[in-house]
Amino acid sequence: MTARLEDPLGPQVRQLFGALYHAGEPTGTAPVVSGEAGREQRGTRVRFMLQLCGERVLQARYRAYGCPYTLAACEWLATRLESAGRGSLGAPADWVQQLQIPQARLGRLLVVEDALIAALAAADKSVTDS
Amino acid sequence: MTSQAPVYLDYAATSPADPRVAAAMGECLTRDGVFGNPSSMHQHGRLARERVEQARAQAAGLINAPPQQLVWTSGATESNNLAILGSARAAATRSRHSGRHVLTARTEHKSVLDPCRRLEHEGFQVSYLDTDHEGLIAPQRVREALRDDTVLVSIMHANNEIGVLQDIEAIAAICHERAVPLHVDAAQSAGKVALDVERLQCDLLSFTAHKLYGPKGVGALYFAPARRASLQPLVFGGGHERGLRSGTLAVHQIVGFGVACELAAAAWRADAEHCERLRARLWQALSTIDGALLNGHATQRVPGILNVSFTGIEGESLLMGLTELSLSTGSACSSDSDEPSYVLRALGRDTELAQSSLRFSLGRYSTEQDIDLAIAAVTREVRRLRAAAP
Repeated sequence: MTARLEDPLGPQVRQLFGALYHAGEPTGTAPVVSGEAGREQRGTRVRFMLQLCGERVLQARYRAYGCPYTLAACEWLATRLESAGRGSLGAPADWVQQLQIPQARLGRLLVVEDALIAALAAADKSVTDS
Repeated sequence: MTSQAPVYLDYAATSPADPRVAAAMGECLTRDGVFGNPSSMHQHGRLARERVEQARAQAAGLINAPPQQLVWTSGATESNNLAILGSARAAATRSRHSGRHVLTARTEHKSVLDPCRRLEHEGFQVSYLDTDHEGLIAPQRVREALRDDTVLVSIMHANNEIGVLQDIEAIAAICHERAVPLHVDAAQSAGKVALDVERLQCDLLSFTAHKLYGPKGVGALYFAPARRASLQPLVFGGGHERGLRSGTLAVHQIVGFGVACELAAAAWRADAEHCERLRARLWQALSTIDGALLNGHATQRVPGILNVSFTGIEGESLLMGLTELSLSTGSACSSDSDEPSYVLRALGRDTELAQSSLRFSLGRYSTEQDIDLAIAAVTREVRRLRAAAP
């Protein structure tokens, strides 16, 4: 076989999916909040864990069960949460565009969004409580 | 992506044509070859007819059938359609009072299930047998499900997803007792295991070239009218193939199929031993991965197919992580869908496990190095995805 075909995942998703650096739990002693959505039986389950210093996200980590696009989106969001903060995240429709994810996978990304919203709400509550 | 071509472990989807097959096909295309229409009476036509009949004998030889009882088709899908629609409709046409019940299994290929659904739209009743948790149909279940108005039983020999082999001889004996025609989809077993229609005593048997190192686009239906079945054609226009399948014969494909069958008849035992040894090596290593579950009966199976589910792993991610391998999560025909495999669901696997399966299918050209690479890659990806899972 000599012909090289385009990767069906696309270059960005392939890169993110191939290096899930932010998968796992935050390290360190600062408080951690989390948010979760989905079920394995439905094909997607995501949990985001955010280690906070006041309003700032020190470490964003996730655990995810799902398709490559789901895992890639989690990795991308965790990276952006740490580097650019929550204002930089956008919505699933933006993620589809930025990562060149097929529209048909939007439903899976909505689960990712639900988990993210739950984690950020927990972060807000943590800040308010403290 | 890795820079080398991926290791091919998807022989149940299709196989590469043997170079000898390709060479024989090449002799039937151009002006200096056997390009004639086998229906023509002139020399070019008669030469082509001779090659077609030689191929018919070669293909019939693989299944120990009389050559005149083979009908050329475009592949196993058409063979299955012709067998199921053709024989059920013929039975219904024979008499207004004749039966309209067909018996098949839930784990059949779509090319059997979809014609059965078509028959339901035409007023037939179809019963779908359940398998046990290993994918096998107890012949006794067939006996219990047969009715006085059953006009056809269609049971596959080897399952395309999990590779299990049904006890066709025992099922055929029951059908014989009740004078009900039996159709067998042998797309995954022809050229892989011993296949003898005289011993099986089936009435109709489908097989195809591209699963046994022949070309895509050609298959055959064995049809024994002397037994119980009758057949109505699906395609009209010229009366080719005893009026059962009209259309100019694709000489190059038929010749390729014939050569592939002759080669398979000579090589299947060695191929089977080779695939069995490699499959054992693969499963021995994969079974040590925590949560690896074999789908289908451990021994009653074709040598080349191994289907494994991995608990807690999403199938598409696993497959897409294995860039160095070409394999499937389910049957190639349905793997565009992210629906869990209906075959694995029929075995009682839950949705999650049915979605987390890989089908390894090995063939003549598979090597130990291929298997070792597959073991390393799957072990790596399962570990990586488990580490990321909730």
